[in-house]
Amino acid sequence: MSGTQRNRPANRRNTTISRRTALSSAAAAGAVGLSGISAASAMPRISFPATRLQDGEPKPGGTLRYGLSTDPSNFEPHVSTGGASGNLKLMVYSTLLCYNADNQLVGDLAEEFGWVDDTTFQLKIREGVIFHDGSDLTVDDVVFSLKRIQNPETAATNAPYFDNVTDIVAGDGNTVNLTFSVPFAAFPFILADNESLIVSQSWIESGVDPKTTMMGSGPFTFVERLPGISITLNKNPNYFHSGLPYLDSIVYQPMADDPTRVTALRGSSVDFIDYVPYTQMDIIEEDPNLTFASDSETGFGWLGFVHDWDPVSDVNIRKAFALGMDREKMVQTAFAGHGSPITGGLIPEGMIGHSPDLEGTYAPDYEQAKSLLTDAGMNPLEIDMLSTSTYSVISRPAEAAQAELEQANINTNLQLQEWLTFRQSVADAAFPVHVWGTAISYGDPDFLWQMLHSKGTYAAWFHFADEKLDALLDEGRVSTDEALRNEIYHDVEARTLEILPWSYLIRRTQGEAMAAKVKGYTHLPSWNQITLREVWLED
Amino acid sequence: MSVFVARRLATLVIQVFLVATIIFLMMRLVPGDPARAILGETASDDQVATMQDKLGLNEPMLEQYTSWLGNAAQGDLGKSIISGRSVSGDIEARIWRTLELIAISIVLSVLVAVPLGTIAAVRANRFADYFLSTLAMVGLSLPGFVVGTLLLVVFALHFQILPQTVFVSWADDPVGHMKLLILPSLTLTLSNAAVILRMMRSSMLEVVRQDYVRTARAKGVAERQVIRDHALRNAINPVVSIIGLEASTLLGGMVIVEQIFNWPGLSSLLISGVLSRDYPVVQGVVLVIAVLTILINVIVDITYGVLDPRIRMS
Repeated sequence: MSGTQRNRPANRRNTTISRRTALSSAAAAGAVGLSGISAASAMPRISFPATRLQDGEPKPGGTLRYGLSTDPSNFEPHVSTGGASGNLKLMVYSTLLCYNADNQLVGDLAEEFGWVDDTTFQLKIREGVIFHDGSDLTVDDVVFSLKRIQNPETAATNAPYFDNVTDIVAGDGNTVNLTFSVPFAAFPFILADNESLIVSQSWIESGVDPKTTMMGSGPFTFVERLPGISITLNKNPNYFHSGLPYLDSIVYQPMADDPTRVTALRGSSVDFIDYVPYTQMDIIEEDPNLTFASDSETGFGWLGFVHDWDPVSDVNIRKAFALGMDREKMVQTAFAGHGSPITGGLIPEGMIGHSPDLEGTYAPDYEQAKSLLTDAGMNPLEIDMLSTSTYSVISRPAEAAQAELEQANINTNLQLQEWLTFRQSVADAAFPVHVWGTAISYGDPDFLWQMLHSKGTYAAWFHFADEKLDALLDEGRVSTDEALRNEIYHDVEARTLEILPWSYLIRRTQGEAMAAKVKGYTHLPSWNQITLREVWLED
Repeated sequence: MSVFVARRLATLVIQVFLVATIIFLMMRLVPGDPARAILGETASDDQVATMQDKLGLNEPMLEQYTSWLGNAAQGDLGKSIISGRSVSGDIEARIWRTLELIAISIVLSVLVAVPLGTIAAVRANRFADYFLSTLAMVGLSLPGFVVGTLLLVVFALHFQILPQTVFVSWADDPVGHMKLLILPSLTLTLSNAAVILRMMRSSMLEVVRQDYVRTARAKGVAERQVIRDHALRNAINPVVSIIGLEASTLLGGMVIVEQIFNWPGLSSLLISGVLSRDYPVVQGVVLVIAVLTILINVIVDITYGVLDPRIRMS
């Protein structure tokens, strides 16, 4: 793909921008960014709406009692242990970049950041930042942290994104330079991820077990963990963002059971809960003493096919599946209306590559679905379908899809397995069709690489490879020109809908609920981040 | 009696060994990989392989087994492969909370069900019997999650007099802790008491028809004394057996109650261990539950012997 130019559809722009041209202009912008122009302007941009809650004059003090949807399995800073525990770690550790209240990528530990050239990303690290143990946070700690993520021994969640990073070194003027073998436009988003935390080199090397304790430079310090009961964090008085956090402490109380968590909030046993179950959203929204902050953009479900398994190896059969579902009805059935159908592409509004023209590609058409089955000699179609019983956000759409597909003469034998058994079955491609759900992992369409590229994890599950998609995704990854990337990812979406490596189902509403006295909270519809450093409590 | 106890305890070692072996093998037969549980959804096969190496999951199974069994025999149940914490430490922290709930529930059940079961038997086929039998049927029919949820909605949510979802320890807040115990204890007591009541009733019905009871009555002994001194002691043996069974079941089977009331006990540790394929945790918890179950059975057997010398002699 390197050095080639893409053929563009005639109905769109006729001019062709080479990747080299795009990278050069972006690199120039990045270099300027480091010299003073807003660094974010050089970066891939998103303009997702964040949900801002109550304004007012912040009031310091108080303890927030947080009903946490999971009892974090451990605190390892570079290995994901789920969204909820990732958010907790984010309160103790800092990242180099983060999202602001407008959901824009901004520096956190990095004062400035940007591309110096095609393959060099530079960050200028804040001076005067100290860890909770009183030691200085230096560029060496940053280099150590990034190399720890890269080290296969760590088995870090974000390690695959560092595959093309050939060098990480400390430069002049408190800077850190990352050199890539090939450009990677979405890389800044990886640095804002919950698992890209900056740790103290001396602390890690002291032999401490970072699974059982935490020590970072974030807004709160780790006090204690009582397994199954609570995790207590206290305000970091030396936090590098002056005046923050407002809260004196946060006490996380694990409450895995959904109704229990909601009952605790409604009964005033806690002030804040995450992952509000869809069955309780209406009740919470109607309660004047509670506030609900949510989005319906990032969480989504899909119907996946094993591409070397007949008859779903036939694209027309896959199209019959895609056409044989009324997703509007599925939103009602599965989530009582708390979600939205996906009849076109996956990339949400506000993100590069969002393609409104593709909406409705798979509007329900049972007759056409039946016709496709008939043409393939498979009407009606009887087929095994797999999903998991562990998470209702996955099993409910699966059940709704089963009911819908029957309308198109696709009779699925739905089997629900426990979570890890299910994952093993999917990894082993043990069923021709499965229903799963996840969330978009970061604010750039490059998230699709992991899902649709033949070298990505999902494609391995689907036994799927498509040269055209590979080429598009590779090009999108290395290009930093926004207009060009818009076209590339539009083509990715169109190609996906054409060959259907998977069929999208519905988006789900996801959010947090809190007592009315909790102020200053911003729900970021992105990438599972729940930040509490600007939250305060009203009397 | 000492020979009897010694013989029962000797079998305990063999039983525990068998349980340990079976659970070790079963956990490895269950599909799903702890490395995948740790690494999350998008982990590549290379990452999974690296993590498996790190966790020692690629060692020969016999080596894993002998190593774990050897350490367990010395009281070391290892570390959780997910949390990194000591399994013994986690069990020690939680087991008392579980035993506390079980003990309170069993004591309450016995205090309620034995007298009511006796009354139902003595007044068989009369209003009291019908009423108590119906009550027992209700207790048996209502699943724990329904009772627990109802109690939670009424007392924690509506009246807000028994906040239930945030655990406080006895040491930190004795009154708060006692309040926390009320609803889960009631939930467990309802079904346990129903089982014991029905067993007590049928056992007592059988005993009061025996010749020696008839003889006692013929001798003019007061009915209350007949029941208390002649019938109760003989009728209670099957009930003791049921109490033992109920206690054993509750040891690992309080998942629903622990979930509803957010009670951090042994069952929730076991379930989270199973769901994440945390082998050391599951093996450790099952081992402890097995030992306790066997001990409970030994206690039940000893109680039989105390209550009925014929069993002791045989």
